[in-house]
Amino acid sequence: MADAPSRVERVLNLLALLLDTRVPLTRDEIVREVSGYPPQQSAYRRAFERDKEILRGMGVPITTRPVGDAGETGYIVHPDDYYLPDLGLTPEETAALRVAVGAVSLGSGAGEGALMKLGGAVAGAGTPIASLPLVPALATLFEAFRRRAVVTFRHRGASRTVEPWGLTSKRGHWYLVGWDRDRGAIRAFRADRIEGDVEVGPAGGFDPPADFRPDDHVEDRPWMLGDDEPVTVRLLVDADHADRALELLRGDAKTVTRPDGAVEVEVTVTNRAAFRSVVLDLLDHAVVCSPPDVRDDVVAWLERIAAR
Amino acid sequence: MSPRPVAETEIQRILALVPWIVGHPGTTKDAIARRFGISVAQLERDLALVCMIGVPPYSPGDYLDVEEGPQGEVTIRMADTFRRPLRLSPAEGLALLAAGRALLAVPGSDPDGPLATALGKLERALGVPDLVVEVARPPHLDAVRDAVARHERVEIDYWSAGRDELATRRIDPAVVFFALGAWYVGAYCHRAGAERMFRVDRIRALRPTGERFTPPETRLGPGEVYSPAPGDARVTLRLAPAAAWVAEHHPTESVTERPDGHLDVVLTVSERGWLERLLLRLGDDAAVLEPPQWRDAAAEAARRVLARYTGGPDEPRIRGRRAEG
Repeated sequence: MADAPSRVERVLNLLALLLDTRVPLTRDEIVREVSGYPPQQSAYRRAFERDKEILRGMGVPITTRPVGDAGETGYIVHPDDYYLPDLGLTPEETAALRVAVGAVSLGSGAGEGALMKLGGAVAGAGTPIASLPLVPALATLFEAFRRRAVVTFRHRGASRTVEPWGLTSKRGHWYLVGWDRDRGAIRAFRADRIEGDVEVGPAGGFDPPADFRPDDHVEDRPWMLGDDEPVTVRLLVDADHADRALELLRGDAKTVTRPDGAVEVEVTVTNRAAFRSVVLDLLDHAVVCSPPDVRDDVVAWLERIAAR
Repeated sequence: MSPRPVAETEIQRILALVPWIVGHPGTTKDAIARRFGISVAQLERDLALVCMIGVPPYSPGDYLDVEEGPQGEVTIRMADTFRRPLRLSPAEGLALLAAGRALLAVPGSDPDGPLATALGKLERALGVPDLVVEVARPPHLDAVRDAVARHERVEIDYWSAGRDELATRRIDPAVVFFALGAWYVGAYCHRAGAERMFRVDRIRALRPTGERFTPPETRLGPGEVYSPAPGDARVTLRLAPAAAWVAEHHPTESVTERPDGHLDVVLTVSERGWLERLLLRLGDDAAVLEPPQWRDAAAEAARRVLARYTGGPDEPRIRGRRAEG
């Protein structure tokens, strides 16, 4: 082919060279070997920077090391860092992963990219059966777990330093579960509530406990997510809305059905504001009976809205 | 416009194609193209590029060698540099495991099948935790999925959150999926005379009718949970900073930030009951700006609920089962 090499061809040859070389190569050495770089120094410098950025963006582990007397930057890709280890997947297992990526929509092309590397594209009907969008922080947290690195991030306005012990998805939300070093306790954080970037510490910063189950530590009942004194609240719900009330309270309630079909519900509450939201979700089909201060709180809240 | 994304996709595909073909010599172009979800013409362009990749000293034997048999069987030699694909990025590893764990959590999946063993191998190889994905299992899920598979019309007693009423409907269930933490069924509703989305956990009872329907061309899918209907009202809310989450958690038509930190959001509301719930929950942190006839929606709803509290703390007036007595 007499045509000038394409960008894609140049980048592939750059990668081949960096993988093949035994010693780190300087930019000038690389540009001399790989065809397709412009002759002028300023132009090939820019082109090389862009190509390097493409490779790094794809996750190619380019290592740099000073070389020569002048300590110029040398570049190399160590095959052990680059090659995907053999996962030992059978054809049936690969096929199952291809179906899974097609069946679950995660809101990114990362699953498809992974399948390519495992040798294939999505298989199956093509209509997802489930949608569990991954937020960007999750990949960083996942990698931090893999490297056993402590993470620091802002969550609901506070800075947290956490040993990431696990990730779990509950009720459609992804959570990071781990050891909160400031609080000295296991805590769960909704990943979509993490503000800004996640700072990742050095590898090997902790040992997660064996057989840790992150889902055991996610409190997904908002009325229990608080430091209020625990109080048992009694609620009376219209017959037609009892199922709905139990759905909202996730079965976390003692119930007694009255002869007229109305249902008395007892539930423990440590976050009164969150509990008020649950009661108000039932509109005029439920009434707080006791204790009086919880009842008065709901009434006062409603009176303020009614007076507007 | 930057050419980067196109170049990157091509590079990533070629880096995946080469090791696979090296490991499966003699596979036909048709089979390779099908497997990787590309056209044969695209594969041919990719293979033409592969021949241009080499290593120093770039003598003829230093280039990747693509050979094609009479039936289109492809073999690649001299590809030692690219004998293995690039390792998975963190996002890719996470995506595979998340998708796999989620599908495995869907009721009916084989907990010991190839998907489960594949995930076990991946987790061990990557040295990552067992991702625990919880997928709900509402009581009528299996019946709904059966009806979808058999194209069977069913009758459901359904509690509509927006209308705040329990009603019986006949539906033709077309598609069922899990999104936003709940199972949904997209169906033609004979009562509404249109396609509707129903939450499976709000189905109180389900009865088969024995009637079959012809599956329609449905647009409903996981992205359509909140698709607004043409007749839905457009409501403008002013939200205090503490209520800004509303703009993130509900599809909005527009969000305008005001100098004082408040947000003016426009959203579509299909049922007044839904808006009443939201407003009662937000209290002073939200106000309806438009339309005018809904400005008092919160106060009216609050008065209706307050009326239930006038019977004294121990014996509030509570309605019994309407169907009885």
